[in-house]
Amino acid sequence: MAQSTNALKKSKGILGALALLAVAVGLWWSLLVAPPDAYQGEVQRIMYLHLPSILTAYLSYFLVFIASGMYLWKREPKDDLLAHAAAELGVLFTALTIIEGSIWGKPTWGVWWTWDARLTFTAVLLLIYAGYLVLRASIDDQQRAASAAAILGIIGFLDIPLIHMSVYWWRTLHQPPSILRPDKKPWENVHPAMLTALTISFVGFLLLYFYLLSLRYRLGEMRQEIKALRLERGI
Amino acid sequence: MGPWGYVALAYGIVWGAIVVYWFSLKRRYRDAENELNRLRSLEAAPGHEQN
Repeated sequence: MAQSTNALKKSKGILGALALLAVAVGLWWSLLVAPPDAYQGEVQRIMYLHLPSILTAYLSYFLVFIASGMYLWKREPKDDLLAHAAAELGVLFTALTIIEGSIWGKPTWGVWWTWDARLTFTAVLLLIYAGYLVLRASIDDQQRAASAAAILGIIGFLDIPLIHMSVYWWRTLHQPPSILRPDKKPWENVHPAMLTALTISFVGFLLLYFYLLSLRYRLGEMRQEIKALRLERGI
Repeated sequence: MGPWGYVALAYGIVWGAIVVYWFSLKRRYRDAENELNRLRSLEAAPGHEQN
């Protein structure tokens, strides 16, 4: 038991160290190596934060979607724990995406915020999953809270295709995708040094995400153990 | 504000927020770990009376 706990702690430490290294290399490439954009100049460097953070948020909500579906099907508490941990991180990365976008918007569009379709659907995504966390906290019965949150977690995920397609379906201020587009490969559309910076930043965000997720998941596990022990001892 | 000012603002807020979240997560993690150890030690001491 103690050996497996130590091994788990060690693997978390290794993941954390790798994340730190990838983030440091990503920062170096993003700020010092990648060339400035031909039209936007230096301010385009915000893209190396903006794109990895929204993709990390999407990944997080995908995990919420899968884990919520599994919970409703199998009623395994571990699926609910994973959905809860992923939702909290998804909210963090979505909020950061909106803040970065706002800071990028001011020098390029002239405004901090506009009710553009993509921005609005992203704000809705943040509200849905912030609501998910509030909903969980407001229901005392753990199983009812998990079921209600799982339903919201699945419905909320439907907003992501809307965000992605919004730049095609509506006339928006937000540019169409540079990387995830059907007509061109990423390396045909983006300078190799920019693509390298973006890839390293994304790897850094992913490693950091899985490190934080492993800590948050274990926190949920410990809280459940505490609840069970308190119940057992009548505390 | 110049272009590098916006870049610095974005990078500062993002990495600042992530570090704050990480510290808060570590604190919650440590609190839970301590509470769990306390409850386990109570469990390991049979006959211990609760107040």
